[in-house]
Order: sequence, then structure tokens, then C-alpha cells
Amino acid sequence: MRNFHVGIIGAGVIGSSIAWELSKYNLNVVVFERGTDVASGTSKANSGVIHSGINSPPLSLKARFCVEGNRMLQILSDSLGFSLKWIGKYVIARNSDELKELNKLKRVGIENGVSGLEIKDGYEVKKYEPNLSCYKALWVPTAGIVLPYEYTIAFAENAAINNVYFLLETEVIDLQKKENGFFIKTNNGIYESKILVNAAGVDCKKIVSMLQEPDFNVYPCRGEYLVLDKAYKNLITSMIYPVPPKEQGVLGIHITPTIEGNILLGPSAEFINDSENKITTKKMMEILLKEGKKFLPNLPDKATINAYSGIRCKLSSPSEGGWTDYIVEESKKIPDLINLLGIESPGLTAAPAIAKEVVNIISKSIDLKEKTDFKVIKKNKKRFYDMSLSEKSKLIKKDPRWGRVICRCEHVTESEVVNALKNPLNSQTLSSVKYRCRAGMGRCQGGFCTQHIVRIMEEDFKIDIKNIQLKSSKSNLFYGRIREIDND
Amino acid sequence: MTDEKQITCIVCPIGCKIFVKIDGKHFKICNGNKCVQGIDYAKSEALDPRRMLTSSVLVRNGDWPLVSVKSSKPVPKNKIFQVLKEIRKKKIEAPIKIGQIIIKDVANTKINIIATKTIKKL
Amino acid sequence: MISLNVDVAVIGAGPAGLAASISAYENGAKNVLVIDRNSWLGGILPQCIHDGFGVEELGISMTGPEYAEMYIVNAKKLGINFLNKTMVLQIFENHEIIAVNNKGLYKIKAKSIVLAMGCREKNRWNVMIPGDRPSGIYTAGVAQGLINLYNIMIGKNVVILGSGDVGLIVARRLKFEGVKVLGVIEILPYASGLPRNIVQCLDDYDIPLYLNHTVTYIKGKDRLESVTIAQVDDKMNIILGTEKEIECDTLLLSLGLIPENELSKQIGIEIDEVTGGPIVDQFFQTTVSGIFSCGNCLQVYDTVDILSIGAKIAGKNAALYSIGKKERYRDSIKVKAGKGIRYIVPQQINNYGIVNFNLRIDKPRKSATVHINSGNIKIFKKKLPWANPANMIELKVNVSKDILKSKKDLEVSIDDR
Repeated sequence: MRNFHVGIIGAGVIGSSIAWELSKYNLNVVVFERGTDVASGTSKANSGVIHSGINSPPLSLKARFCVEGNRMLQILSDSLGFSLKWIGKYVIARNSDELKELNKLKRVGIENGVSGLEIKDGYEVKKYEPNLSCYKALWVPTAGIVLPYEYTIAFAENAAINNVYFLLETEVIDLQKKENGFFIKTNNGIYESKILVNAAGVDCKKIVSMLQEPDFNVYPCRGEYLVLDKAYKNLITSMIYPVPPKEQGVLGIHITPTIEGNILLGPSAEFINDSENKITTKKMMEILLKEGKKFLPNLPDKATINAYSGIRCKLSSPSEGGWTDYIVEESKKIPDLINLLGIESPGLTAAPAIAKEVVNIISKSIDLKEKTDFKVIKKNKKRFYDMSLSEKSKLIKKDPRWGRVICRCEHVTESEVVNALKNPLNSQTLSSVKYRCRAGMGRCQGGFCTQHIVRIMEEDFKIDIKNIQLKSSKSNLFYGRIREIDND
Repeated sequence: MTDEKQITCIVCPIGCKIFVKIDGKHFKICNGNKCVQGIDYAKSEALDPRRMLTSSVLVRNGDWPLVSVKSSKPVPKNKIFQVLKEIRKKKIEAPIKIGQIIIKDVANTKINIIATKTIKKL
Repeated sequence: MISLNVDVAVIGAGPAGLAASISAYENGAKNVLVIDRNSWLGGILPQCIHDGFGVEELGISMTGPEYAEMYIVNAKKLGINFLNKTMVLQIFENHEIIAVNNKGLYKIKAKSIVLAMGCREKNRWNVMIPGDRPSGIYTAGVAQGLINLYNIMIGKNVVILGSGDVGLIVARRLKFEGVKVLGVIEILPYASGLPRNIVQCLDDYDIPLYLNHTVTYIKGKDRLESVTIAQVDDKMNIILGTEKEIECDTLLLSLGLIPENELSKQIGIEIDEVTGGPIVDQFFQTTVSGIFSCGNCLQVYDTVDILSIGAKIAGKNAALYSIGKKERYRDSIKVKAGKGIRYIVPQQINNYGIVNFNLRIDKPRKSATVHINSGNIKIFKKKLPWANPANMIELKVNVSKDILKSKKDLEVSIDDR
């Protein structure tokens, strides 16, 4: 199929949640993703936080979509099956000046409709967080955490099950407006669509420039993170944030527990030139540890098991203060082009609300008829790791591959790896497996499981050894055989 | 023609650096060794350096794709890559018994390449 | 649930587990079960196709697979049982074990347990190397397994970080398979592998060894493209201006081993922070009665020969425990690592007799003396012609009844005289 009602550029959390909302209607929808999986860009490289709405100015789109999205999250988690924990957040004040900032945040929050906000004394906070010392803190109970890749995958895979086409490793290289739609040129041929949704994240300007001179600029801003070993998960229970640094449009380096029990330190904020530069730097890794220790003096030095970075799509430069509102609208110059620009924090939270808004915009051009056979497939989210002994026994009887544990650190079984590789998006890299079943995310970082994942890919899925990728298209793991197995 | 060489002794972890002089087949220790075993090692290393070789041979229809192999005796250093070349070309059918000769008289060295693992037939 | 009752359960069928299981049988445990997560038995041995195993223990130099097969055949002849492709999920203080394989869940009731899970490798993030996150970065042991067991070519132009034996052995293996080994990078001023391996893996093949260097940056958009190395000073700080970029497609990390103790930590077995393994007494019993530890999960050994000695003691005592013959002696004293000692095993003595100590010193020394004191009394002294951290030191020390009764901890120290 080459002709669609809606073409979405980018399968990050924004593109995927839009695809899912659209999949409820009788429409032909296609998503173009240049990566080998969904959430290849910033959507997986963030703190995984569901924000409450205290950080965005009232009446801004950021505030509106954040609060709307926040309210949708629990129902979405229950129906789509992604993990969600309402662990709450403390914003810390170390002195009376910072207390003034907390009061500002509380006022903004209340105006935005955030409930349960409370300023607590340091000794009260210590009852719940014995390792944390502060003067006062703003307690935000409606802040939560998700696994951002699991979250995005849930939207995307459900959309795919409802007949949205996900074209992975497909990059949009040119666009042309035609009467009643667009020609979309990709490295895998030419497609057409009536409506075009620009959800290209950090590259949103590149997409616009294929059609017209953009009237905005993108300032990529890199955030680095450190992932700490689960062994330290008892150090904190809720998220810990500083008072937001002034004039930067970022939230500052904070501490985030993850769904699985790791701790994230980050993000840093560094404006860079190259939007693809996702390196981690020595300088920032040292700063992250230092800042982390300011909150939690007990934070050990050698607890890091991984580090990563993500690029924010900022629409204003550091000299301009770094803050702009979201742009979620049909382009004024090009009808039927819907632009999603500058979707940085609170992007994960805002995504489901933004998706509904996009559907609203599209409904003005296309008559939307709800599907009668819309499917909601809630994945068997229970991991072997979390099952009771009797649950484990039952599954092994049904399928013996539930009994072969191939990831020592996270107790992931062969069956889970096979199911991960059988995903409806047909994404089959080592990372695709990792993000769907956690194999490779433990403290040994793939030391034991890599051989098994490779074996399963080769034997069960007939992937040639030379074509096994880590994540991107050319990130091959191997070069072939030590001894060639020729057929003579 | 006299040749001077420095040999790192590997008999014990001290790793003495022993200086030797070789004149054809004549051998003379100059200095460096802290014990007597070092002399024997330095002599053999200077006049006739040999190495135990280990590698892998492709297996057909076995429960492993490769069988690990070793040379039955240390191989002259200057023949190592010839021996490895022959090992690389060899293909063997399972089952294989540990100790089985995989290649006889490899690269005309009179040394055999033997299996160091038992491979069952699939 | 499949229920099994055994005398001694051994977790891990690597060299330690195999030696312990046979020793357990020979010392009275008739029902011995060895559990291993791999499809093969022998642990790390089948991928160690090089020779050098068993020189001290047996007087011959075997390859890893040969050493493994010898032990496995002997163990099976004795009637020792094996469960492979089986992962132990949890152990309990009452010596119950929950394990799983494709036949189902197992509840194994053992009279005593020997922990022999081996170790895992330090990875990039243990040393926080900045840069990109491309494919082509492997720990040396994983690379060795992929090459030797799975017939996979992992790279064509390789840089190895760390001059430990694993990295050196893999360097030679790669060279044998026509792979370019561009260098071995070592942060210390000396190589940490055995001199035999430096000569036979690096010198023989003209592989450059960069001492006092480390990798400071990794570059690669998809697959690795280059690493940057730089010189370090005596405090291991990078000397600016000495950076050099080496184009390569593979980085192998041979940064050191970490004893695998997930199961031990789960039930609160006390762990020595320096060794990374359980605190044990001279019988290799951990702080949980009836649970013993040996091999690389107790401490990282240099050779399988020395590891075997400890494993056999652990197996023997696990057997004696299982037939009711082991009791803790009432007076227990600690063994402290004093000046110049990085760590010493065992960390506790609770019976008199000859004790086999294993220790490592903190830095290389030429000619040093090791002292063991009980309070003010010197109970042992040995002169060493040389010593360095990479070579484990073995000492046989007689700990008398009086020393125990004094309740004074032993202090082990080293001086340069």
C-alpha cells in the first residue's frame, strides 16, 4: 500500500500515541521511522517521568497537555498494560530563597489544576526519605514514572495490531505538496498521504524545510544520565528534584527511581550543534555523580551500570532563556501539515493529550468513523521474574521455554525473548529484545544473555549472523564465521 | 655470525630478561638469569623456539560447531602460521573422541593435531 | 514442582564445582547434585581452548576442555548427578534451593550447599568510558566464548583494554584467526597477566603493549570506528596532550572479574567488600551454616590448580556437614588484612590446625616479608623473593589452640625487608 489518509513522520512517543489514537478510526495510517525500532530517539532517552503540571506556565499548551495527559495515564496503563507507578516527587529547598521558588511552583500547580500539593518540613520528609536532608520540600503526589520505551512500544504495537503501518528503517528524504495531500519520498520508495504529521522530534525543522522555509529554529540540548545499580534502590522512594535552575528552561539534575528498581541521575543540559551527538562525556558523568551526592550523601561512587544521553528539541536558544511553549497545530502556510514542534519535557506526559488534539485537527479535514473492531491487546506484562512459583510452573508446562532462563541478572526466559522478537512491529535487533523483555539490562550488561539472544535470533528467526544488529541499521555485532560452513 | 638476543624467561613470574649470544648452534648466556632453570629455557628459546598450538576445527553434524584442537607437541615457531593454515582448511565429521588425531603430520612437522574435546553426533 | 533430596548440592559445574563435587563424594556424601545454567558442563573451561591447566595440580599441561572432560568423566563415574540448562533462582538458609529448567521448577532439599557460581566480567560502565555507544564493544570472555563455542567472528581490527590473562589469550586467538590486534592498553606501569602470556601472546606476534595508558573515548555512530588512548601519570590521571586515536572496529575489555554472588547476597551471606566474595572460615564455610563457597565466586584465582585445592576442601567439608560431622568451634577469631595486604582468605578461623591462606598484596614489591601476628605475638613469617598483586600468595600456617583461645584476631601484614 502506498496511499494513506495520514502519514506520520517519526515513531517516538508523539508519533506512536498519535498513531494509536488514529487507529481507532477507519483510516489508512502509516508511520515512517528511520530507526530500527520505535522510540529510537529522545523518547527512550529521558527520565521516564509523568509530570504533574507544576513546571509549566498556566494557559500554556505545555500545562494544558501535561495535566490532561496526566489524568489519562492510569486508564491507559490499565488498558495497554505498560508499567506506571505513582511514586510522587519532592522538590527540595535548601534555604528560604529556594522556599520562595517552591511556593511559586505550588501556586502555578494549583492554577493548572494539580491536586495534593503540599509544602513539608525537612524533618517530615526525613520520615519518608531517611537518606534525604533538606530545609523544606514541595510534595507532588501526582507525579509518576513509566519506562519510556515500554510506554512508547505499548502505543505503537497496539496501533500496529489495529492496522497502522509502521515502516522501520525508512527515512523521509523529501516531501512535495500536491493537490489534496503530499508525496513522501523515502529510502524505501514513494508514498502519498492526505495529511502529514510532523512528529520528527529533534529533526522537525528538517522536515518542514523540505516543504518551505521554516520560521523557527531548533536548538538541540543534550541531557546525559547515569543508571545506578538496583542494589541501591533503597536509598530513595520518590523522585527528588532541585528547584528549577533559573533562565534555562530545564528542570535541573534530579534523582529518579525507575520502575525496575534502578536509580537515574540526570539529566544534564548542554546546548550542542549536532542533533545526532548522543555521546556521554567524562565531564558530565562527574557532575552527575557530584550533584547526586548533594541530595544523597550516601550515594556510592561505583554504582554506575550504564550511561546514556538524549537530545531535547528546544525552540529557543540559551540566550533567549531556553523556554518556549509547544507548537501543536496545522501549519498556517501548508494546509494538512500538522506540526508538533519543540516537544520536550513534559512530552511523555503530554503525548496522549497531544494525540487527542491531533485527531481533533485531522477531524476537520477528514470525516472520522470509529472502528467497530478496534482491538486492545494488553500484553502479558507479567515477567517471569515477578511470577509466583505456581504461575511459573503452569507456564512451563504449557511452554517449556518458560523454564530456560537466559538472562541471569533479570531472570528472563527464552519464551520472553521469543515473544519479544515476535513483536508486531517486526523490529528484531538486540535492543528491540532488551526494551521488550529486559534481557541485557542487568548489572552484567549482556555478559550471559548475549550468546542466547544471538542463538535464538539465528535458530528460531533465521537471522543471518552478519545481520544481527545492536540497535541502528549498521550496528552489526559480527562479521561472519571463524570457520565458514560451506555446502560442499 | 653472532646473534644477540634478549629473552624474557617464563619459568616463573619474575620474568628475568636474559641476554644470550648465538653463533650458529652455539649458545652462550651473557647475563640476566636468577636461577638455573632460566638457562635451559633461554637455550631452547634461543636455538629452537617452539610453541604449543591450540585452535579450532570446523565440525559437521556435531553438537558443537567447532572442535578445539591442540598440537601433540610444541611446534617450531617459524611453522606456526603454516600449521594454522592447514587447521583452518580442515573439516571433520562428528562424532569425535577426545584425543583423536584430526590432522596427521601437519605441515610436514611430524606433529599431529589432536582433538581436545569429545563431540557427539547430532 | 519437582522435589529432590540430596546430601550436597553444588551450584556451578565449572572447575570449582566439579572439584568440590568429587571431593564431597569422596568424603561421605553419596547423593551429590551439581546444577549448572549452561547447556554444557565445565563452566568457563570449554571455551578456554589454550593449554596451561593442571600444571601444578597434575604435572601436565592440559587445555581447558581436556581438564573439564577429565573431571566430568570422573564425576559421572562416581555417580554424581548433574542438572544442566538449569538456573538456580533462589537459595534459603535451610539449604533449600529453587531452580528451574524446561521441565519445570525444582525444590531441592540439600543438607549442605557449595556455592561455585564463578564470576562475571567488568564492563565499560564500571570504568565509565565516555563517548558513543556503538556495537563492537565486548568483554574479553564473552568474545572468547562467541569465537570458540559459537564459531562467530566478532571483529577485524581489535584493540584490547586491560592486560590481564583473559585479554592476552584472546589477543593471540584473534591473531591466529587473521584478525588485526592493534594493541593492548594497560593503565598500570606493568602488565597484569602472567609473563608466559606476555611473551607467547604479545611479544611473539608483535602486538604492541601500551603501559601507563587507558582508553579515554569511544567513537562510532553505529559500529565502533575508533578509540582514543592517552597516557596516565602515577596517580592514573590522564596526561593531556598524549591522546592518540586508533581506528578499529572492536574494543575488547579485559578489566577484571567480579565474583558472582547474587544468590549469596539474597540470603544475607556476609560478603567481603574487597574480594567481592563471601567471608569464609578455613573450611570454606560462609557466615550461613552449611553453605560453603569456593572458586572464583569466593575470590578471583590466578590458576585453576590453586582454585582446585580450595574447592576440594569446600567439597569435603560440605560432605562432612551433610553427614553431621561438622560443628563450629566455639572460639572464633578474625583474620585482618593489615599493612600492604589487599585481602586475605579465609577471613575467619574457628578451629586449630594448619590453615591454607590465600592473599594478595597491594602493589608490586621486590623482596618482601609477610608477617602474621596474634596480638603482640608473631606466629608466622615468610620471606618472598618477589611479590605483586597479580600473583596470589599461598601460605600454610599452623594456628594453635592457644592462639584461638586468646581470642585475639590475626593480623597479616607485609614489609619490604
